[in-house]
Order: sequence, then structure tokens, then C-alpha cells
Amino acid sequence: MEADAQLVQRCLRGDGSAWEQLVRQHTRRVYNLCYRFTGNSTEAEDLSQDVFLRIYRTLASYRPADGAFPTWLTSVTRNLLVDHYRRTRRDRITDSIDDAMPVLEERHSSARSPDRLAQAAELSMQLQHALSRLSPELREAVILRDLQSLEYNEIQAVLQVPEGTVKSRINRGRIELAKVLEQMGVRPQPQSGA
Amino acid sequence: MDWNCILTEERLSDFLEGNLVGNEAAAFTAHKGTCARCATLVAQVGGLLDKMHGLELLEAPDTLQEKILAATVRRHEKKEGWRRWFAWAPLLWQPRFAVGIATVAACGVLVVQAGGLTPAKLRHANLNPADMFRAVNRQAHMTYARGAKFVNDLRVVYEIQSRLQETPSQQPPPRQQHNQKMDPRDPQQKSQTHRGRNASRGGIVYAQDLPAQTLEPPICLVTDGPNWSAP
Repeated sequence: MEADAQLVQRCLRGDGSAWEQLVRQHTRRVYNLCYRFTGNSTEAEDLSQDVFLRIYRTLASYRPADGAFPTWLTSVTRNLLVDHYRRTRRDRITDSIDDAMPVLEERHSSARSPDRLAQAAELSMQLQHALSRLSPELREAVILRDLQSLEYNEIQAVLQVPEGTVKSRINRGRIELAKVLEQMGVRPQPQSGA
Repeated sequence: MDWNCILTEERLSDFLEGNLVGNEAAAFTAHKGTCARCATLVAQVGGLLDKMHGLELLEAPDTLQEKILAATVRRHEKKEGWRRWFAWAPLLWQPRFAVGIATVAACGVLVVQAGGLTPAKLRHANLNPADMFRAVNRQAHMTYARGAKFVNDLRVVYEIQSRLQETPSQQPPPRQQHNQKMDPRDPQQKSQTHRGRNASRGGIVYAQDLPAQTLEPPICLVTDGPNWSAP
């Protein structure tokens, strides 16, 4: 966190290498958030660029005292995603989620067997499909909590809603997601038998 | 503690994340043991969380970072020294500018050609807009006339060809006509010869090709009309 704040200060002093470092550190997180929300790799890439352009222009408005840099970054990303969602609502009715599925995350897990990789890839696609059927409020809450691993207070800062609402949305989102997956014929069972 | 399905749904995430303690946790577990629907729900959501937490972050496309950097910090890098005077030069290498320059050059050549201008013999008067307009207008009309004549010639040629193809089985002309000697002094034969030649000119008959007799006034054969006299 402190390192991010220092990098931001260096950026504001005109240090290009500091900005480059910030971009390299956070591109993956932003891209993931965009992809999980839109379900389209091309849109996710374009949105990620827009996010960093906005960050670049408004970097001076970042206050370390108000929260960590990743939280601020996630907040900016989320606002852009909401704008994008409103802008493309009509187009999405006819769109298919199956287009342009990206290279899945399991390609970097070289230790896994091909069978496990295929299963994980399939699950990722199914999960993406199910996420797209959730309402935006529930979807963003689940993504931030379960795929981006943010704490409740960070999600609260990003979404600008009370913590109780955050918890409620996450809970409802998880239940909805499980029901959608069941409708799709997917029944993920707990590994430890909870 | 009284526990039901609604409470199970409401506190499901707390239970799965280990935030339920004491009596609440015991009541939740007890209800789950007696309600098949809630047990299934807990198993499904628990499995879903395990799977989601096991997923790694997607790898961003390789070019994304470079695109972001190109759109932000590298776009604002200032060139130093003499390079900044030629910072616009790379724009000329873009295909759209090359195509644009080529188009303008081609248009210039066309205008010069149409105006009948020869760069080596160019005078100041040639650059007068009125003269240029007149020259272009004249050139346009001549070009149109040439085109019209060419099309007319083509039409005649195709007409002759089509007529020849339509009558391949026609009887050859009478033999006596073939054997008939051509008398250069016979004006009728001469006019037939000219007529054939004229046909290839698109029906245009020049005065010099006409026999001398045709230029003379016709002999009047009507006896009760006005007095025409033979020359």
C-alpha cells in the first residue's frame, strides 16, 4: 500500500517509470474485474485501457488517507463498468456471452494435469455465463468478494453502500449464482464437505 | 434456538465464512441436518465458493500494458532538440496521407492534361482562369466527340458483323456479277464501291467520294410540270 502511495507521488512529480510500474502491478487486477463483469475479452481490454486513462488524468485526486490505492483503483473501475453497463444495456440483449472467451487462467498453472486444466477451464466458462445472468448489483458484489478477494470494508468503500448492504448483496449473489449454475446442470460440491 | 429456512439463507455466508459462533452456529447446523433443501443449498454455495476461491486471476493480454503506456505516458513524452521540429514527420508515413498525396497529384495531372497545358511551354497567360476554363471546356468537348465517334464506329462494325452472321447460308450473288468486269468509267459501279467503303465509316458520306453525276440536278421526267431542262 505504502509503495503504491509513493509511486503515485513519483507519478505526480512526472516520473514516467513510476507510472509504468503502477500499470504493470495493477493491469491484471483491473482486467480481471472488467472481464468478469462484461464476459467479453475485447470489451474488458478496452475498458481496462479506459480505466488507466482515467486514473492517469485524475491521479492528483487520489488521497492516501481515504483508502488504499487498489481500493481507489477498484472504485474507479467499478464506476466505469457501471457506465459501460448502462451504455450497452440495449446491445447486450442480443449479444451472446459465448463470443471471444479469453485464454483462461489455468494456462499459467503448469503444475496441474491437463484433465484438471480442462475441468477448471470449463468451470470458468460456466461461472462466467452464470455471472452474466445476475443483476449488476449482485454480480459486482460477488466478483469483488469472491474473485477479487476484497475485504468487506474495501467493498463498502468501492460500492459506497453500508456494510450490511454489502453483506446482504454478497449473500444473495452467491445463492443466486448457485441456483443459476444448478439450472445449467452444474453442481459444484464442497471439497471439504462443509 | 428457533431456526428456519429463511434464517439459513440470510446467514449462509456468515456460516460459510466462519462468522457464526455459539448458539447461532449450533442452530444453523441442526437445521441443516433436518432440512434437505437447506442442506443442498449449503452444499451448493459452499462448493461454489471453494471453486471460485480456487480460480486464479485471468492473465491480461500481452499487449494491454503496452497499449496503456502508449496511450498515457509515452504519448506525452516530449522530443528534445531538433527532433521536436520534425515531430510531425511520422504522420506523413501513414498510409492515409500517402494515398491522399497520390490522389492530389493524380488530380493535378488530369487537370493539366485536360487543359492542354504543356509544362515546358507554360506562359503567364495560360494561368488565366478564364483561359484555363476555355481550354478545359474545349478539351472536354473534343474528348466527348472522339468518344462519340468511336462508339458510332463500333456500332457500325458490330452491325455489319451481326448481319454477316445472320446470313451465312444465303445464296452467293449471281455468277454474272462476279464475272462482270469493273469499268472504272462506269459511275454506277463506282458509287457502289464507294457505298461499301462509306459503310465502314459509320454511314458518313464525304462529298469527294460521291460521283460527279450525283451532284448534278436530276433530269425532270414529268412532262406537265414546270419546265425543267436537261443540262
